[in-house]
Amino acid sequence: MKKTIPILLAFLLLTSCGKGSESGFSPEPGHSGLLTVVLPATSEPAAGFDPAFGWGAGEHVHEPLIQSTLTVTNPDLTIGYDLATAMEVSGDGLIWTVKIRDDVKFTDGEPLTARDVAFTYNTVKNTSSVNDFTMLDRAEAVDDYTVAFRMTRPFSIWPYTMAVVGILPEHAYDPAAYGSNPVGSGRYMLKRWDRGQQVILEYNPDYYGPQPRMEQVTILFMEEDAAFLAVQAGQADLAYTSAAYSDQSVDGFSLLSVQTVDNRGINLPVWNNELTSDPLVRHAINLGLDRQRMIDNVLNGYGTPAYSVCDGLPWWYAVTAETSDDPEQAKVVLDTAGWLAGPDGVRVKDGVRAALTIHYTAGDSVRQGLAAELANQLKELGIGADIKGVGWDTAYDDALSNPLVWGWGAHTPMELYNIYHTAPGSDSALYSPYANQAVDELMDAALACTDLEESYALWQQAQEEIAGDVPWVWLVNVDHLYWVRDGLAVAEQKIHPHGHGWSIVNNVDQWSWEM
Amino acid sequence: MRTNRRADTLFLLIFAGIFLSAIALAGGLLTEPAGAADFTRKNLPPCLAHPFGTDWMGRDMLARTVAGLSLSIRVGGLTALLSGGIALLLGTVSAACGPRVDALVSWVIDLVLGIPHILLIILVSLACGRGVWGVIAGVALTHWPSLARLVRGEVLQLKQATFLRAVRRLGVSRGRVLRTHLLPHLLPQLFTGLILQFPHAILHEAGVTFLGFGLSPERPAIGVILEESMGYLAAGRWWLALFPGLSLVLVVMLFAVAGERLRLLLAPASAQE
Repeated sequence: MKKTIPILLAFLLLTSCGKGSESGFSPEPGHSGLLTVVLPATSEPAAGFDPAFGWGAGEHVHEPLIQSTLTVTNPDLTIGYDLATAMEVSGDGLIWTVKIRDDVKFTDGEPLTARDVAFTYNTVKNTSSVNDFTMLDRAEAVDDYTVAFRMTRPFSIWPYTMAVVGILPEHAYDPAAYGSNPVGSGRYMLKRWDRGQQVILEYNPDYYGPQPRMEQVTILFMEEDAAFLAVQAGQADLAYTSAAYSDQSVDGFSLLSVQTVDNRGINLPVWNNELTSDPLVRHAINLGLDRQRMIDNVLNGYGTPAYSVCDGLPWWYAVTAETSDDPEQAKVVLDTAGWLAGPDGVRVKDGVRAALTIHYTAGDSVRQGLAAELANQLKELGIGADIKGVGWDTAYDDALSNPLVWGWGAHTPMELYNIYHTAPGSDSALYSPYANQAVDELMDAALACTDLEESYALWQQAQEEIAGDVPWVWLVNVDHLYWVRDGLAVAEQKIHPHGHGWSIVNNVDQWSWEM
Repeated sequence: MRTNRRADTLFLLIFAGIFLSAIALAGGLLTEPAGAADFTRKNLPPCLAHPFGTDWMGRDMLARTVAGLSLSIRVGGLTALLSGGIALLLGTVSAACGPRVDALVSWVIDLVLGIPHILLIILVSLACGRGVWGVIAGVALTHWPSLARLVRGEVLQLKQATFLRAVRRLGVSRGRVLRTHLLPHLLPQLFTGLILQFPHAILHEAGVTFLGFGLSPERPAIGVILEESMGYLAAGRWWLALFPGLSLVLVVMLFAVAGERLRLLLAPASAQE
């Protein structure tokens, strides 16, 4: 049912807006400054546009648009400035001091000061369930345009956290109302929000940066099939789509493929599983996969091979990419490890069959396809594999003893920590059984580092250490695909993180219509 | 040429029986090929090698459909038996054990009938841990009330029948009355009811799976197939929904026809028509 309703809606749109676009909500195609974008239905923020309740942050990070942030991530994922003009960290790493611009006003006319910044961070620390703020003790305004963050522990990648926190107005913040009626200082203002349907953003004429070129951006929330129908009907200028539709063609539209770090990979439990607890088996699996075939088969070619959780990002240990994809070598490794072919083609060692069940989350066709293709490839290596769809309610528990197909990819090295570092109060990493003291120490050193550049090197060393253990095998980075109306120039995209939603409109203010 | 209507009916019944059991058997053997993904042949429209086409993972839709129908028939059979058993037990107990028990059972029947079927199935299925057993429990525990009510009415009616009152007066024990006099009268009604439960059970199994609360997605179930196909209709892959959908309708209709014919044969008033 949940999928039929958007289809019906789309049909209604087709019929009701056929007369002329001046009566519909979609602007005239190519009208300068007007834009209609279709995002997934799941991208609509349930709690509204309140950074304290996850807007812009969390699993699917993106720029908050309505609010400003202190820092931003550059196209190469290094750190740049938005509100900030300078920042420094004390020698012990416990105090971050950030200077901010003095010419910024909220859209209600009030100036944005360090007190608003301090208020925002103290608020998100208290309320946000989406992001971890335990490393922050408190934020305080030193003067009108200087803010100091007192940390509970050194946290070198704090600038990446500052890039996802939209600044709230202290004088106009009511947690109950702000989400649906946000006041910010960003490039756009929320003009209208029809829950379950659309959001209309209007440019902020008093914006302190370059004037946005797109004056009004309408964002529609639709399921994938409805989004495709909307494109066919010419109701959208840009709409998300997936590889399943990539062989279609629509007059007046072309397919835009954006490179991502939106990766898929499987965990290989280092204990709790008789097969994957053998390090040579984990190496062989990592070595023996034909990732390009996986991409061609499951993603219709729209993806890149993944060798880590952070391919192409500044803290990536690029050597991981040089050793993989050699099935013949993988078979040799399995043979030398003592896993020899049994009567049915499945390898056996000491009476243990080399077989595993790859779990994936039900309802995600890409993960299902990857699991099936992975099972096919593993069978060629002599490892028996079948697949099983599970819900998220049981998936986390299943992953403690079975491989599960995961999706990651964030604009912060903290993700490495979350996946590989031993979880507090536990003797294993959080998502899959794994522990390596050397990895823990390198990551702790990276966080304690006072220089961001130096910390990248430590993150890379940690990954080098991890590469010896192979607790996870990374498969592909899934390209994000969009239908784009001819004539719309989409500004250069930085590598998209996990989540096929708001990232595309990060820089919508710089898009333009080519006349 | 005029043929005997009774013979016709019997023939149709046998044909439906054979056809459905053939599907149930074939599907059991096809489970392996139905799940096999082969990306070299993905998204093929219907052709000679794959009469129902293939899906986005290169799975043969004919094999998946037959395996799905087979699963549906087997699940339907088990649930129909279970709910039939519950119905027979509660119906007889209700009618035979006095007014207090009757009031209690009637109250339970009303309670279960009062909750929308699909909602109750989802609840029971979730509570029983989803999967095949969740669905079987869900469908079995929700489909007995109407049949139980029928049995209860029938027993109440029989109790007033002269021959039964005579037997009771003669001092025959309750158990024996039940076995030798009540059951033979009940069975035709129950059989017909059972077979007519099949299509209900199958459709509900497909329905609850379609909604995502039933069988897991790697199983070749009709509900799973139809749910998946929805996403590809807009991309023009009509064969993914059309053939499995038609097959489901065909199977359900066969069951309905078989049930109806069986009723005609067994009911005394129409048996000789």
